[in-house]
Amino acid sequence: MSKIYKAFLDKKAFIPFITCGDPDLDTTKEIIRELEKNGADLIELGIPFSDPTAEGPVIQGANIRALSNGITTDDIFEMVREIRAEVTVPMVFMTYANVVFSYGIDSFFARCAKAGMDGIILPDVPFEEKTEFECYAERHGIDFVSMVAPTSEERIERIAQNAKGFIYIVSSLGVTGERSSINSSVKELVGKVKKSAKVPCAVGFGISTPQQAAEMAQIADGAIVGSAIVRIIGQYGKDAPYHVGEFVRSIKSAYPSF
Amino acid sequence: MTAIKLCGMMSESDIRKANELMPEYAGFVFFEKSSRNLSPERALELKEKLSGSIKAVGVFVDADESFVKELIDNGTIDAAQLHGNEEDDYIRRLKDAGIYVIKAIRVRDDESLKKAETSPADMILLDAGMGGGERFNWEMLRDFKRKYFLAGGLDPENVRQAIESLHPYGVDVSSGIETGGRKDSGKMEKFVENVRGTAGQEKAGRFGIHGGQYIPETLMNAVIELEKAYNHYKNDPEFNRELSDLLNDYAGRPSRLYYAEKMTKDLGGAKIYLKREDLNHTGSHKINNVLGQALLAKKMGKTRLIAETGAGQHGVATATAAALLGMECVVFMGKEDTERQALNVYRMKLLGADVIPVTTGTATLKDAVSECMREWTKRIDDTHYCLGSVMGPHPFPTIVRDFQSVISREIKEQILEREGRLPSAVIACVGGGSNAIGSFYNFIEDKEVRLIGCEAAGRGIDTFETAATVNTGKLGIFHGMKSYFCQDEYGQIAPVYSISAGLDYPGIGPEHAHLHDIGRAQYVPVTDDEAVEAFEYLSRTEGIIPAIESAHAVSYAIKLAPSMSSDDIIVVTISGRGDKDCASIARYRGENINE
Repeated sequence: MSKIYKAFLDKKAFIPFITCGDPDLDTTKEIIRELEKNGADLIELGIPFSDPTAEGPVIQGANIRALSNGITTDDIFEMVREIRAEVTVPMVFMTYANVVFSYGIDSFFARCAKAGMDGIILPDVPFEEKTEFECYAERHGIDFVSMVAPTSEERIERIAQNAKGFIYIVSSLGVTGERSSINSSVKELVGKVKKSAKVPCAVGFGISTPQQAAEMAQIADGAIVGSAIVRIIGQYGKDAPYHVGEFVRSIKSAYPSF
Repeated sequence: MTAIKLCGMMSESDIRKANELMPEYAGFVFFEKSSRNLSPERALELKEKLSGSIKAVGVFVDADESFVKELIDNGTIDAAQLHGNEEDDYIRRLKDAGIYVIKAIRVRDDESLKKAETSPADMILLDAGMGGGERFNWEMLRDFKRKYFLAGGLDPENVRQAIESLHPYGVDVSSGIETGGRKDSGKMEKFVENVRGTAGQEKAGRFGIHGGQYIPETLMNAVIELEKAYNHYKNDPEFNRELSDLLNDYAGRPSRLYYAEKMTKDLGGAKIYLKREDLNHTGSHKINNVLGQALLAKKMGKTRLIAETGAGQHGVATATAAALLGMECVVFMGKEDTERQALNVYRMKLLGADVIPVTTGTATLKDAVSECMREWTKRIDDTHYCLGSVMGPHPFPTIVRDFQSVISREIKEQILEREGRLPSAVIACVGGGSNAIGSFYNFIEDKEVRLIGCEAAGRGIDTFETAATVNTGKLGIFHGMKSYFCQDEYGQIAPVYSISAGLDYPGIGPEHAHLHDIGRAQYVPVTDDEAVEAFEYLSRTEGIIPAIESAHAVSYAIKLAPSMSSDDIIVVTISGRGDKDCASIARYRGENINE
């Protein structure tokens, strides 16, 4: 079992997302330090992909910035290995199927394990296609995180029962990105997932303010914030770590006590 | 499907179990030092009990050629598998005698893999060489190109993983299905079940190893719903009548099969026929698929169509169908393409569609597809994604192929009526591959018909400015499917290039990838220069201005025809008309014209 469960132990988890190499890997490291220092319970690290079809414009932009700096998957493994010596917070990768497939699925997860990663999120690998990836992830002790969407309906039970690490609940239709309000049906969706789930669940997509994050953490076991943080990084570049830290602190202080 | 070879058959009960499980191959060992060695007499007894549908393979180690031939001649075995130090000449001599030869190679390093790649044998088997069932490092095989049997250390537990990660042509097992040195019927059964389980029963929409449904969870129920609806309506007489009325009365089908007499005489060689999809309403083959999908979407209660477009042909066709059926339409088009195909943008708007220029990525076709997928995840209830090619997640490659297969159905009827025989070759251009699969589909079983897809090589396959996926890409997962893609070593999708906006795509449909794998279709690169020359040639020679996409197919026909005899027939699909391309071809030739 990976360390992911620790993120949810005795607390509501706050899960920030950043894209590795945006604007450069040294800044990414610094941001990871700030995230941990300011109370992130689990960190989602994006490995950039040229054509991220599940992302809105903000995270697409981060992917382009990172790739135009020549960042590669190997560079990211190396960065993670280095930062792992300093931080203990559980970390998962978020990337696309082809990044893992082209690396060699087995080699990819072997490197994940060596670097000290705990899980993987692949938004373009649904339940039906996951075995190809999950069997290798499992071999190397990496949790393959499953996603549930508002359209999942009768699929929820099967997905939730077989989920590892935690379940990523997609709050609303569409791609990643900040939304001014989140549909009230999330609560119902979380309820359905919880009925079958053996692992914790966290809500993501569209969560951009401390209030929204707190509200989602109240409903589920945790909340995931991506675009709002990536936007700050896009805005401040190398100076982003401090601003990201501030933002995370404001979210954590709005968080419900367990 | 992955072939199965159960090796080291020794007893009647092994044969009975094999007959029940029906692997493709069963192996008899003829090597005295092996514990599974059989005498020729004993092997013949067993062979006589083996189902005729299972091929018997004799396993030899540096045996006399005459011994191998004798066993073939008296029907003990159907193929020979060589495990010793047999030289290439030895293999060639057996092959010359008409024997199917499988050469086993012990995989130890890159050099042994190189040897495997160049072996003259019909098939190779990659083995750990330990006999006792030790596994070699599978990682070494990632970039191995040739078809092969995987052997060495396979068992019921690991075979599924081996197939999913390596996609071998077949798997070979012996000690992995034994207990205490004898075949274990339970293990045999489990092994076969696990192989077959991976081979497509659980996974939807596979063409060999290609295809699948690599899409966000948000879209899964939408594609499942689409598949259900399609499976229902494709057999619904009312739906088929409506569609056929639309295709005939509205789109102008059947399209003509035209004998290009001047071109034939000029080139000297094969007789050339042109399948005139350019004469369809809206000027290309795209309307065949669009009318089918739009009608299906309407039956499903959808009121809005979204579509990607490259050259604008699919966008125009979708906007047309939406206008006809009273549906809303939004077309996503790479910004660069809206500039090189301005006329089609105007046509779409005239037809009442919204055209959204896509500025992300390379601002071409692939980005338009990505944007459509994003849009579809935002709005699923009332919206159908009218995908324009035989690509994307299952069921799209199947649906689009079925709607386009009308092309080859007609070609077959028309050519049989005109010539009384099938063509020697069918040639079509390939981007995602919809007109090509439409042109090929009804000929796939007619092995004597060569199927040739022409990829856009752009400035050449040895440059980075190319879109020739089969010739320059490698296996990957993108836009919902596993197939071949132009990509870098880290799996980042390559910015491709072609003069043709419609072929300017970094992937190819999964069924084409499969037809390539099994050698049923051939995919050849055609450069910008060659395509432009063919564009001009066909205009001058036959008075037909083809789309620059179709000109890629014409170009290869110009090359191929003179090498064939006058008894041969070539059918070239003219997928669309070239009016849309005149301004950009003029520019290519250094002339500026106002559209």
